[in-house]
Formats: sequence, structure tokens, C-alpha cells
Amino acid sequence: MSELNYVGKSWRRKDGPDKVTGKAVYTQDVKLPGTLVGRILRSPHPHARIVRIDTSRAKALPGVKAVITVDDTKGIKHGFVETPRYPADQEVLARDKVVHVGEEIAAVAAIDQATALKAVELIEVEYEHLPAVFDPLQAMKPGAPEVHPSHPKVADPYANIGGKSETEWGDVERGFAESDYVREDRFESHLRTHGYLEPHVTLAHWEGDKMNVWTSSMGAFVKRAKLARTLDLPYSAVRIHKTYVGGTFGGKIDLYSHEYCAARLSMITGRPVRIVASREEIFSAFRHGQPLAMEIKTGVKKDGTIVAQQIRVINNSGGFRGSGVVVIFLAWGFTMIPYRIPNLRYEGFSVYTNYPVRAPQRGHGAPQIRFAIESQLDRIAEDLGIDPIAIRLRNARLPGEALPNGDNVHQAGLVDCIKMAAEKSGFLEKHGRDRGAPPQGTIRRGIGIGVSAYMGGTLIYPNGSAVIVKMNDDGSAVVLTGAIDIGQGSETVISQIVAEELAIGMDDVKIISSDTDTTPQDIGAWISGMTYVTGNAARQAAGNARDKLIAVASEKLGVPVSELAVKDKVVFSTRDPSARLTYRQAIAASIATHRGDTVIGEGYWRTMRDEPNHPSLATTKGRWTENYAFSAQVAEVEVDIETGEARLVKALTVHDCGFPVNPALVKGQIDGQISMALGHAFMEEVMTKDGYTLNPNWLDYRMPTIHNMAISEDADVITEQYRVGEPYRTKEVGEGLVSGILAAMANAVYDATGVRLNSTPFTAEKILYGLKALEFKQKQASREETVGA
Amino acid sequence: MLDVTKSGLGTGTRAQSRLVSLQVNGEWHEVAVKPRVTLVEAIRDAIGLTGTKASCESGTCGACTVLVDGRPVLACITLAIECDGKEVRTVEGLADGEKLSALQEAFLDQGAIQCGFCTPGMLMSATALLERSPRPTREEINKALEGNLCRCTGYNAIVDAVLQASDQGVKPVMK
Repeated sequence: MSELNYVGKSWRRKDGPDKVTGKAVYTQDVKLPGTLVGRILRSPHPHARIVRIDTSRAKALPGVKAVITVDDTKGIKHGFVETPRYPADQEVLARDKVVHVGEEIAAVAAIDQATALKAVELIEVEYEHLPAVFDPLQAMKPGAPEVHPSHPKVADPYANIGGKSETEWGDVERGFAESDYVREDRFESHLRTHGYLEPHVTLAHWEGDKMNVWTSSMGAFVKRAKLARTLDLPYSAVRIHKTYVGGTFGGKIDLYSHEYCAARLSMITGRPVRIVASREEIFSAFRHGQPLAMEIKTGVKKDGTIVAQQIRVINNSGGFRGSGVVVIFLAWGFTMIPYRIPNLRYEGFSVYTNYPVRAPQRGHGAPQIRFAIESQLDRIAEDLGIDPIAIRLRNARLPGEALPNGDNVHQAGLVDCIKMAAEKSGFLEKHGRDRGAPPQGTIRRGIGIGVSAYMGGTLIYPNGSAVIVKMNDDGSAVVLTGAIDIGQGSETVISQIVAEELAIGMDDVKIISSDTDTTPQDIGAWISGMTYVTGNAARQAAGNARDKLIAVASEKLGVPVSELAVKDKVVFSTRDPSARLTYRQAIAASIATHRGDTVIGEGYWRTMRDEPNHPSLATTKGRWTENYAFSAQVAEVEVDIETGEARLVKALTVHDCGFPVNPALVKGQIDGQISMALGHAFMEEVMTKDGYTLNPNWLDYRMPTIHNMAISEDADVITEQYRVGEPYRTKEVGEGLVSGILAAMANAVYDATGVRLNSTPFTAEKILYGLKALEFKQKQASREETVGA
Repeated sequence: MLDVTKSGLGTGTRAQSRLVSLQVNGEWHEVAVKPRVTLVEAIRDAIGLTGTKASCESGTCGACTVLVDGRPVLACITLAIECDGKEVRTVEGLADGEKLSALQEAFLDQGAIQCGFCTPGMLMSATALLERSPRPTREEINKALEGNLCRCTGYNAIVDAVLQASDQGVKPVMK
């Protein structure tokens, strides 16, 4: 393909007009006659045995149509991970005991909200309190209150271990012995919510042989599989309908109890049932991200070359396994990619506590582990007298390097990213300036850098995407894709690809998406692979339809296929452009002479075609992806040393995300991630005490508002090879960029103030405390000097 | 959380509905609502205009913003009966038939929409701003949109869209 007309250009969103006029249909906008209101009874205790549940008073309330407990389910468990090592571990409603505040115990369906609320209150539950544990380090200790038995295959003498990831290469002990300098640090991250504006909401309607479901999700096919299994229905009896989704950020992947309950209540009542989660429920009972504790020991040569690294990660996974055993695998993955580490020992523990279960959250382990590694790397650089850019360039992966897991980084642009980020930000001129010569007043500026890399489209159910392109007989096309648009722009990107391959206009492409009955299976919008996997399936499907049109035209025109090309819905001879056939004519000819073939293109795609499965979560063995994106991000912050308040002033993101199919959509992903990261760094924290959430609303949990905007600049290091030869060599861009920038902000706060923070968030209190500690140390040093003199 | 048992709003009792007249996007609607029904419920459920979004239902996110007599109002913490006889404008009323407003076009041009859930409220707050201040400063834009949360865009594109719509030299980035 020599000239690109649609791919690589910033087309407006396909779903844009519907979203600016209020026509876009989200789950809460779907109305069915006779719909009942569903409500969930949740545990008020962090850890308790359920002695007795009595639903009779609730059932007797006029207007109540059904009440369910675990006894009304099939008792089929589900889990974010369902593998032989980590089988499904959670019932859809609590059985015998509750393990966190907010755990679902029963559900009601009633004629209106007030009746449903009243019915929930009338359910009597007798609890026997059990000792609870909230700190994973306490929970790990033998003899700690048992949330669940430890994983049978984990040999360590710890309690409450949901799973462990463990890997090693090289000889770590020898590596440390050969190092000129070894440094050990401990880092902690904190609990944040996803902050999607659209609440969790599900509408289910059982029609006797079909479970119709509308739900706010990140992938229709995952939801279908888990709902069908827990309801004990064949997949064909469950249909997840398309709706637009008002933000997810990782928090709407797994099966949630309310989705099951809406469906089950509809089966019992024969009426549609809607369950909407209140914001308070989302904050205090739903799944948030994963706070990690990270111990890192790194050995380097004098010139900053990493020789050995030993990492221990502990995850607080809450009351069930959730994605806790995934994040400890991923924290290894995000350690492995950016820098060469000749000798590594890694162990990650996922620990049960009496907190709500955890979900993936944009970056899924990357922001936490990159914050830790990049902070420590800056300290090592300073200790050795090397600048932050030089130490990163010394260790950064080069194009074509093989990773320890057997993957290849291919055209990794990391070195270019670091160089360009340093140059564009004037990093070395600014770095250390305010620390060296503090300016007048209370404002200090600092600059910091962080590096990250992210995998794209790994093998997780349903593992592959297919796309169908149906030609209409006027030459326009209908695209059937299971891809779900959660805001990232999948419908736009897929339309661009189909328009490009078919040489038709953007307005000639109509997308039908994310409906498990009418569209083909799709990987979903949660493993950073939609543009790559589904996009390539769309390319194949459109190309398949185009090839059929060309074949028919070849017969009609008597011109060999090799001499035919397409443009503006016409097949023409490249030797004699007057020999031409419009798509309309070609489709008519296909129907006439090919036994009614109306021209339908099929395409499908899967990553890692030679690999059967995702790598082992426990051992990390197995190949992961062929698709690594790289980035270097620079933060410039301002800190008021009087109040301790810090803010991000400017972010620079230099990235290698492969070929940008829609550069403005890429930019949108970057800006959004900068905003989310600055919330992570300076503003947001779910505050808890004994498993209860103390700030379950947006007044007390502060997400960035328009006043917290930072300047967000970006640049890519996309090579000419991508631009000309490989317009579909796309990589990840939607979640990895919350990571380097978080580390960059930590490093910039240090650069501004000399205060090094090993835990997120970087609050005014912590910074002030750090400043006071520095002051105290200086005073002490000068006193000692005086005494010594 | 609403305490149903103590609030007297419980079941089995007949709460008196009242007729409320709302002029929504130029058309009068008469709806029977119980006193506790909020404006966002009246608009979405009784009148059937679902463009206005319900998100936090506690006045903290701005997704439900509509214009009442030209002023932005959080419809999730406004009672429908308070709006009797008033003019209400929602996102469905912004376009003139098929023709989008300059602000709607600018949101498309700047990539100011991702998931789109904050978009209706954001558009209403910004529309009210542009009606009282046709060429707003950055400070005025920040002030006008400070109550509207957006988790997707980081706000940069939204500010650019308001600047483009008010003809302040910002060019479209999408076509």
C-alpha cells in the first residue's frame, strides 16, 4: 500500500455525533416495560460467619417479587483467573461466611426503589464475628486470622497466600558480589478507585430460553462466558447486547455479583430486572486497584550498569483471589521489559485480607513497580554521580533484543524515547537547579524522568478476535465486530482500517459492535490489544472482501488480478483506468455469476500464534507477546515548601506505540493517562479503617478537576519503517503511560525539594514532614560541625 | 444513603404525586411526580430524554447538568417540583435539527469526547458559559467547568473545544 487515506489520520470519532447529541445509548438508557428494581444486601462486617439468613419478612413485603440467597444459585464459582492452578474461587453470593465489608449476601427484586430498599432491610442475617486482618504483612504471618487457606502449592510457611509468582535467571548472588554498589529500598503504593463516571449497571431480561443482558462492561464475550457458566446455561442462551460504556479503566472486566443477581432475579420473576450500583457502593464494596509493597535490591557497576536485581512484591488482594495473582505476575513483566537485568530473582505474593476484592486498574501493576524501580534508579544514579538520563540510556533495551522469556522487543524505540525526552524537556539544564540554588519565595520547581514499557494483546480468554465485513450492494459496507468502545475509539479505528482496505469512505462504513449474538467473538477492551488484534482481523476481513471484488472484476473485465487496483468504490485496471467496474457492478456480477455470493469478507487474528497459552502466572514460563510498547516520560512539578503542596505543571510523553492509526485518539489516551497519574500522585486515596471505606464519594475522594490540568505534550519515535511499510504494526498506548509519569513525578518532587518519598501518594503532609526532617538533619550537621571545630 | 424506614418514604403508603409543567427544549411537558423525584429522574424517566446522565446522584460530578432558565443546575440534587413552570434545556436541545452547535462540532474536532458519559453535562455547562461570555478566558472556562468531572480526557481537549467554539484561534485536530 503506497498511499494511506484513512489509516494514520485523525478522523473524528464515529460515535461522536451520537455522544454530543445525547443519542448514544448506555446501559442506564435501555428501558423495558415492567422492569423491576434490584438491590443487593451487603455484609456490614469485614469477617463473619453467617449463622442464619431469614428472607421471609422481605418476601412478604407487598411489591417484592423475589429474594435470592446463595441457596437459590447453582453454587458454581467464578474467578478473574480460572486455571488448574488457580481455579474459580468465588460464589456469586456469600455462602457460610463473609470475608469483606460489602460482600454480597442476598438480592431482591421489587416494583420500585423504595420497596427494594425496604426489602433489603427486612432480610435478617445473624452473624458470628470472626477476627479480621487487613495488613497483608500481618495476614501472611502464621497464626493470623484465616481468610482462606493458603494455596496448597506455595511451600513458604505463610498464611493467607492466594498465589505466588516466582522466577529467576542468571546468578543473583554472584551478580551482587560482582556489583560495585548495591542498594536496597522498600516502596509502597496505595488504594485508588477507577473513577469511571458511569456507575456499574445491569439490566437483565429472561425470555424463557434467552437471557438478554445489557451491562456496563469491557468485553461482552467474557461477560457472556462467566454469566452463562454461573447460571448454568449454554453460551447460546445468553446474549450480551451492545451499549456504550461510560468509562471502565479496568474496573468492569470480571463478573460482578450484581450482574448475576439481575439475571437470576429475572429468571425467577420473568420480568426485566435492573440493578444500579450507587457511588457509595462502588467506593465501599466494589473492586479497586491493587496496592503493592515492593522490596527492591539492585546491584550495579560504577558506570550504572545493572548487574543484579532482587525483587519481592506483596499484594493485598482482599477477600478473594480476584486479579491479585495476575498483578504479581505483571509486576515481574513490567520489571523485565525496559532494562537489561542479567541476573534477577523475583517473587510476588498475593495475600488474602478482609478488604474488598481487587480488580485490574489501568496499568495493572506497572505504575506501582515502575514508580519503585525508577525511584531507586535515580537514587543509585545520584549515589554514583551519574545523571538520570545517562543511567537509563546505559541500561535501556536496544532494538532487536531478546527478553529473558524468549520474546523479542523488535523495533523497540526506548533509547530514542529517552534521548528525545531529555532533549525536548531540557532535562539536564533544569535538573538539580532549584536544589542547587534555591530561589526566593516558597515555590520550588523540579524535573524528573520515568521509563516504562507495556505488552499488548496477550492470550487471555477469548484469545482471538474475528471480524466480518458484509458488502452492501451499493458498495458500502457493514462491519460486524465484537469490539466494545469504552471511550478509547475502537469503532473509529476499525472503521478507518476497513475504509482504507476497501477504498471506501468513512461514511460508507457502518459498525455493528459488541453483541454476542450478532457479532463475532472478540478479545475485549482490557488487555491493550484491540487495535492490534481486532484491528488486524478487520484488515483481513476488509481485504478478503476486496479480493473477492477484484476477482469478480477480473473475470468481467478480462484483466488479470495483478493489474487491478481499487479506489473510491471502483475496481480499475492500472494499465488502462478506463477498464473499470464499480463495486455496485462487481457485487451484482458476483451475485449473478457466483451462485448468489453477496461478497462477505472474514478476518481473524490472534497474538502469539505458536504459543498455546498465556505464560504461567506462577513461574512466568512461556512467551508473552510480540508486541512491546516503550515510553519515557518527563514531569515538571512545583512544590510549595511552606504548605508541602505539590502539583504537576507539565508532562512530556515520548513513546513508541507502533503505528498510530488515529494520532488524535492516541493523544487523547496520553492526556487522560497524565491526568489519572497526577491524581494518583497527589490527590486520590481510598481511605479505609478496619475494612470500611471512610471517603465513599467524590467530595472526600478528590479526582482531578479542570483546575488540576497539567500541560501534556507528546512526541513519538515512530520509525519510517512503521510509517511506510507497516501501518498495522500497532502497539499498546491505552494504559502503560500512567507509569513512567508517576515515577517521573516522584523524582521531580525530590528534585524540587530533596524529599524522597517511597510511598504514594505524595501528599502535602509527607512532603512537609520530609522537609522538616531535612531541616533537622542540616541543623544537626551544622551543630556537629561547630562542635567538631 | 436514604433511610427508607425513617424517612416516611416507605412502601405501602400512597405518596401524593403533583403535576409539574416543564418546558423542556422548547416543548411543554406535564408530568406527575412524587415530591422526592429529582429533576434528572423526571427528565430521564418521565419525559424520556436519556441524554442527561445520572452518575454520582449526589451533586459531585456534574454529569447530570442541565440548564434551568439558562443557568446550569445539577439535576440529581434538584427536585422536579422546584422546576414547575421553568425552562429546562438538555443535551438533546443543543443541535438545530441536524445542525450541531459550534460547541458540539468543536467537541468532535478536538477529541474532547472519549467515553462520552460526562459529555452532555460538560456541553451544558460550557453552553451556559458561552451564552453569557462569548469569548471566555481560560480562567472563566475553568470556573464554569470546575463542577464537571471527566476521567478520560484530562480536560485539555475540552478546554480547546471551548476555545475553538468561541473563535479564539484554536484549530480542529480531527477531521
